[in-house]
Amino acid sequence: MVEDSELQVHPIPEPQIPNPVSFLNGMQRWSVVAYDGVAQIVSAYVAAAVCRRDKRGVLHATFERSRAFAIAPLDRLSPTLRPVLEQAVPDIEPVDGELVGQPARYLEQVESTVRRARAHLERELAEAATAALGADEWLVLDGLLSRSPAVARHPRALGVIKSHGAQFLDGRGLERALTLPAGHRTSVFAVRGGHTRTEVYSWYLRLWPWEGNNLQYGLLRVEARADRETIARAPALSSWLFAERAPLATPATRWDRLLYPLHHVEEYLKARAPRSPAARSRLPVA
Amino acid sequence: MIDKAIPVPIGRVVATELKPATPHQFHFWTPTDTTIGIGAIVKVGGSGTGEEGRVVYGVVTEGFAYSDLATPLHDVVGAEGDPTRAVEAPTARQQIRYWTAAVLRQTPEEPLQPVPLGQVYVADDADVAQALRMDSYLYSATPTAIPVGLYTSAGRDAPVYLDADFLLGPEAAHLNISGMSGLATKTSAVEFLLASIFAHFPAHKGRVAAVCFNVKGPDLCFLDQPADLSDEDRRRYERLGVPSTPFERVQLYAPLKADGVNLNTLRTHPDLVDDVEPLTWGLQEVVDYAEVLLNRDDIDAKADAFIDFLRDRVLGRTFDDGFGTTHRVQTFADLDRLFRSIFDGLEVISGGRSDTWRTHHIATMRKVRNRLLNISTRCKGLVTDDGPSSDLPWQDFKDRTVYVIDIANVDPLGQDLVFARVVSKLREQLERRELGVDAVVVFVDELNKYAPGDGPDTYVKKMLLDISERGRYLGLVLFGAEQFRSQVHRRVVGNAGTQVFGRMDMDELATPGYQVLTPATKNKLATLPIGELMVRHPHFTQPIFIRFPKPPVLRGRDGVERFPPAADVPFEDAVVRQLVRLDRRVRPNQVKDLIADREPDDVRRALAAVRRIRPDDVLAYFRKVLGARVTPEGALPREHHTVPPLNPISDEPY
Ligand SMILES: Nc1ncnc2c1ncn2[C@@H]1O[C@H](COP(=O)(O)OP(=O)(O)O)[C@@H](O)[C@H]1O
Ligand SMILES: [Mg+2]
Repeated sequence: MVEDSELQVHPIPEPQIPNPVSFLNGMQRWSVVAYDGVAQIVSAYVAAAVCRRDKRGVLHATFERSRAFAIAPLDRLSPTLRPVLEQAVPDIEPVDGELVGQPARYLEQVESTVRRARAHLERELAEAATAALGADEWLVLDGLLSRSPAVARHPRALGVIKSHGAQFLDGRGLERALTLPAGHRTSVFAVRGGHTRTEVYSWYLRLWPWEGNNLQYGLLRVEARADRETIARAPALSSWLFAERAPLATPATRWDRLLYPLHHVEEYLKARAPRSPAARSRLPVA
Repeated sequence: MIDKAIPVPIGRVVATELKPATPHQFHFWTPTDTTIGIGAIVKVGGSGTGEEGRVVYGVVTEGFAYSDLATPLHDVVGAEGDPTRAVEAPTARQQIRYWTAAVLRQTPEEPLQPVPLGQVYVADDADVAQALRMDSYLYSATPTAIPVGLYTSAGRDAPVYLDADFLLGPEAAHLNISGMSGLATKTSAVEFLLASIFAHFPAHKGRVAAVCFNVKGPDLCFLDQPADLSDEDRRRYERLGVPSTPFERVQLYAPLKADGVNLNTLRTHPDLVDDVEPLTWGLQEVVDYAEVLLNRDDIDAKADAFIDFLRDRVLGRTFDDGFGTTHRVQTFADLDRLFRSIFDGLEVISGGRSDTWRTHHIATMRKVRNRLLNISTRCKGLVTDDGPSSDLPWQDFKDRTVYVIDIANVDPLGQDLVFARVVSKLREQLERRELGVDAVVVFVDELNKYAPGDGPDTYVKKMLLDISERGRYLGLVLFGAEQFRSQVHRRVVGNAGTQVFGRMDMDELATPGYQVLTPATKNKLATLPIGELMVRHPHFTQPIFIRFPKPPVLRGRDGVERFPPAADVPFEDAVVRQLVRLDRRVRPNQVKDLIADREPDDVRRALAAVRRIRPDDVLAYFRKVLGARVTPEGALPREHHTVPPLNPISDEPY
């Protein structure tokens, strides 16, 4: 606990919305496109983008990165197919061929490979975006702040987490957090997490009343730099993020937790993604 | 065509399964800030755009704006029911400006294919010419292009031309313009277009004139006087290549008033009245068009037969009535005498028991008599006893001349008569190729009065239908104007090759004739600014919006302000004035002495004779005619002298 001695519930003040703000989000897409015996060859596409919001509230893309690649168990491919694939697709992410015989587990492995590729891309982009951030510009990321030490230490970067798999609290504190009323936040606590182990400060914020829904409804966890300043800023940052409830990010399923600008970045990426992963057309049909 | 600069796309064609692009329609989006609007002409593809193959031109017919808001409720939820908070939302929703365009032209035309999903550009002058298929008549060896106005959407300013072959025949002809009074600029548009036609009528098509019926106040009385034009309008004239000067040759005709000497027109200001020719017709002219007078309520074969009999056997011949009197019928008075003689004869000889005379029933004869004498009473001043003392120059129409016939203050029956006779004569002379010009534009304002969609088939209506259907081969072209197109006979408007619309009434737009227009186009028509028009022309596959300059002539209303009509002058002064007009040497006092104690009818008759003959020595001839003819005893009082002469000046402000 870095604010209060035990976790408390705080109402939030009137909002002050910083300007400009940039928002970062990413997307991923993959599908099996070819077979070599039972070895499934996957075509994947990951992308991330940053959109900056101007004075009129309109979002403009400022950074964008994408990667189209194949995933294949190279060591298990037949000697005829492997050179064909390597010829056709310059970017191949090899996976361990051991799981080829267990298709379901093999695909889980594919999924995590793609997720890793996406996280990597987002991290690179976040680093580039924070480096280029203007003097009073903020960056809001969809997901963990702590993936990159540079980003995690930046004074004006925020991570907004919608899924609450990891638990950082217990007992009364956990109960207070999960029953947080709308328009309130918790005390700030320290979190060590992600792959980097960079410490960040965090708190919960409720955007919409959860009563009548599940406990996670409208619940965000915010990550910011591990610094005393963060504690001082937590009320203002909370009211700002609370104001981002409108416009609603519908029809996205998790609109209760998804900020519209982050939704917009995702829609932007989806609109620009190749309809079928680019690699497909270049792969030999099995 | 040389591209001046690399064109910048202003939008992009998009198509979905629900809203696909077709060969005749496509959809595109633009930035929220865009210059285009309803009526703008756009181009898809074309040289320098990377889509060299197919070029599509379209006109914007509908526009949509929406955001990614799934349901309006979500906006309410986001603002927690408070509209002021909705404004405070930090991010603006993604939104779209989405347009529908109707295809004007595709090149190549075959095979006809859906519009490609390409970049959209604003059309320039050359594109507008292509889009409207004007290239074929604008750039040909014998161009037939007549400027009609400027296409001004999307910040452009491109001249739009009509094809003379389709406006004035022979391929198609006639023009109809409709819209709200005072806002649609119908009269003005026709005036401008006539100026444009006179300036651009192609040499190989010969000579052209216009006959305009002035049916409302002073509307067309000052076509020879200059307008006050703004610099902007002068620039438009220059851009369109039309001189901004009034018509050089205008001849105005007006009937006389009931006194037989003053002119029945609002152009009576002393500076201008001398240019007005009196229009007066006699019995022969009236009987030739007697059907006009009959058909209003009671056309029947018997009356027709009797009129034919009068025409063939009686008028201008020596005729024995069978009761011992010989007649020579040349005037209404003569005719009345004949009728009296017949009715008296029937009475005396058969004691009232016989009711037919030479196979004609007495009731038929009475009816014809009443109608004929009635018109001479109601339109005294137009219809005189003495034959045509003044008429249009039926064999000598002059090139690029406007003949204005002012019938604004004539009784409706008289209007019909003027109308029927003028148009029939034009037709006759054009058929014989003896009119002096190769094409005549006849402008009829208030067309709904003369060719209404419902009501009986009057002679005038049938005549207008006839021109609409056959006039284009003869060079007889009808320009009709009316407030409500839906009230004009379907075939009259339907045959107009060119249709023009000014500001329209919403109720009118709701009638079936406008179903083909999109709601946005209708809305644009309902709010069209003064000076803008929507034009349909055979070469344009879609209606096009244009702007035209104010006409180069003095507006009727301003005309009567600048040249206030003179009060009627006393009988003898009016006679003097008419004689002086014909011969400047005539001294007023000589005339006054001559007519001092003469019957006004005799004076009128003498005046009519002078007008008809146009002698070298006007006064001498006048004196001779006045002295030679003595009123026959017993002819007076004639019946129509007992009825007070009608001179229906309408109260309506023009
Ligand atoms: N091109 C134009 N630009 C601006 N005003 C115009 C233009 N043409 C006509 N007007 C004005 O619009 C008004 C109505 O014109 P008019 O031709 O009398 O309409 P309508 O015949 O439809 O009643 C007149 O006052 C006229 O001066
Ligand atoms: Mg008018």
